[in-house]
Amino acid sequence: MGSTSATIAVTGLGGLAYGLLLFVVAAGLKLILGVMKVMNLAHGASYLAGTWLAYLFADGTLTGLALALAAGLAAATVGGAGLAALLRPLAGHTEQAVVTLGLVGIVVWLFSRISGGSSLTVPRPGLLDGHLSFAGHGYPIYHLVFIAVAALIAVVMHQVLHRSMAGIALRAAIDDPPIAATLGLSATRIRIAAITVGTALAVGAGVLGAPVLGPAPGVDATVLTLSLIVVILGGAGTNIRALLIAALVVGMVDYVGAVVAPGLASFSLFLVVIAVLVVRRQGLRTAVAA
Amino acid sequence: MTTRNLRRQPTGRAVRLARTIAATTGVLMLTAAAGCAGSSLDTTANDTASGDTITVGLILPKTGPYQSLGDDMTEAWDLYLELHGGKLGGHTIVTKTADEGTDEATARKSALKLLDQDHATVLVGSASAVPSAVIAPLAATRHVPFIGTGGRPSDKVIPDVSYVWHTSWQSRETGAAIAPYLARTIKGSVYAIGPAYTGGYDQLGGFTDAFVKAGGKLANPEGGNAPGGNAFAETPFPGTKDYKPYLNKVRASGAKAVYTFYAGADAIQFVKDYRDAGLSDVPLYAAGFLTEGDALESEGANADGIFTVLNYSPTISNQANAELVQDFQKKFNKTPTLYNVTAWDAAQVLDLAIATASATPAGSPSSAPATSPSSAGASLAASNPASAGPTANGNGSPSTSTSAGTVPPVTGQAINTAIAGLGQINSPRGAFRLDPASHAPIQPFYLRKVQSDGRSRSNAVIATLIPAN
Repeated sequence: MGSTSATIAVTGLGGLAYGLLLFVVAAGLKLILGVMKVMNLAHGASYLAGTWLAYLFADGTLTGLALALAAGLAAATVGGAGLAALLRPLAGHTEQAVVTLGLVGIVVWLFSRISGGSSLTVPRPGLLDGHLSFAGHGYPIYHLVFIAVAALIAVVMHQVLHRSMAGIALRAAIDDPPIAATLGLSATRIRIAAITVGTALAVGAGVLGAPVLGPAPGVDATVLTLSLIVVILGGAGTNIRALLIAALVVGMVDYVGAVVAPGLASFSLFLVVIAVLVVRRQGLRTAVAA
Repeated sequence: MTTRNLRRQPTGRAVRLARTIAATTGVLMLTAAAGCAGSSLDTTANDTASGDTITVGLILPKTGPYQSLGDDMTEAWDLYLELHGGKLGGHTIVTKTADEGTDEATARKSALKLLDQDHATVLVGSASAVPSAVIAPLAATRHVPFIGTGGRPSDKVIPDVSYVWHTSWQSRETGAAIAPYLARTIKGSVYAIGPAYTGGYDQLGGFTDAFVKAGGKLANPEGGNAPGGNAFAETPFPGTKDYKPYLNKVRASGAKAVYTFYAGADAIQFVKDYRDAGLSDVPLYAAGFLTEGDALESEGANADGIFTVLNYSPTISNQANAELVQDFQKKFNKTPTLYNVTAWDAAQVLDLAIATASATPAGSPSSAPATSPSSAGASLAASNPASAGPTANGNGSPSTSTSAGTVPPVTGQAINTAIAGLGQINSPRGAFRLDPASHAPIQPFYLRKVQSDGRSRSNAVIATLIPAN
């Protein structure tokens, strides 16, 4: 009894979907916080807004999902630009944090008004509804499709960052702002673009991820905390692969940990975070000493 | 190429960034705490406790996973007052509200606000066990009766119940009510799973203790290994956002049924994950909160066929329930829930007790017959005067107003004494009485099944597990 290999496999699949969801959100946060050095605590609220849009447009068809995604990207463009303008005069992280936390308060209040404090169930498109069965275990088809889509997003992101003009400009602006400026790259424009794209990733993840982690009280905080953890574990720089691995570790620890060591489920993730951070520092020290 | 450049700068920055995040979080927590304290600036109620009016402090969740329970309770409380001319036992009621939150600190702050700032004579509310445990000792020291409308934790958590009454249920009795039935009818073992907090321990503990005692066998691994032999599979509370990892273990255990307790937002998630985990062929039994109120509406077809045990269903046939269902249909266009009923009965208990307390000069023994609650009839009497029968005590009639000024204030102590003498109460759930020792209802429990008639879903009674008294 207890955990058979089928139990662990199907749970691992859940961890994979969750890890990829966190990856997309965390990539956005990485762009805003890690790269542009803007402290945006409203990133989880952006995800919540995305799930809410998915709920609004969901009508059981793929068209409804596509409409929600379009609306989400439009909202993220407006919201991201607004956020960039709002945070522009604020230099310090603390000021940015307080202002974005105020935004969280507003979003959470609006959500509790609209939803009456309940979790809202976002219906999956009919085509992707239902679940597959393996050895008596079920797994939702939508989640499998989500895994494929999120993996595709990861690949595209990697390509854009390393192959496209926009990616090169972004990396140039990070690596050497003065030289980038002499080449005619506007730091302001890049900053606005990064915040907008970052927000769009969170909102987009919310729209697509709503049937996985849907609109509910507290979802914004969960997503913010976990994506912060992913960004910190992923380390500095624009290393997409490290970020992906960090996100998958978080997803797996959260899911498989719940089956293997249920007693530790509420804090096992933090044990891993502490272990990774300590080992990384230790590693650096030995590297310096050598 | 670029990655090499990047790797040189990061460590200092990453550490600084992490530190900033930590520092900011600290600042934010302080800000949040200050914000909460500021919200209770309420300058109005200075001594509303004159002869004619009584201030009731209503403490319910306005935030967190149980917010919708709080909304249900508030609406029933308001409706009762509306149908009774804003009065209970002949006294005009001033209702002050506060948020019980999800933690002890918020509950304590809100209770103190109601007691110290609003000078509440009575406290009513609490949707979960945690705030209940915080409010109980405050009520006892201040001699303010507290009528709980949500789960009552076990005696270990509230040792002194002298000023505590519940119109709801004791957290352990729901599971205990269905345990013998499941031990008898399920041919095989039952997997017990629930949230790891006071309410979950009591709800599931009440079930597993009674279930094992009745000869049942638990399927979850904890059930065999723990010293008591009757533990349940725990999920972190609050904050479990996906129950599938926990549910994935049910199949391998060979369980023939699952018993659980979740409420509010958690219940919706659990029911959805139960279907997604491919467990539709394993019957799901639960404490009724799983499919109660807004939760059932959000769960939709996923909830069909779930069996639950609870002390209320809108399909119970008795006159008080028929009237309540009709009143709710008329006012809100929906059927009442247990959360509506506990708040409704809290108002009813106070209606009766305040009438007795104000009819009885301090010290003299109560002579008012407390056994015929005015409220069941009065709910219609207020909305439809033609059908009003003669009520036993004049205080119940909405138009009778004892002249202000000459009436001495009714104390919390007097109300508390009057509640103790109430006897049988005609609740929509069926008649119940408040146990003189536990101060909680001795009441019926029903086995219900979620059924859809194509237009709407309801928890239909399919059997009575414990009859009304």
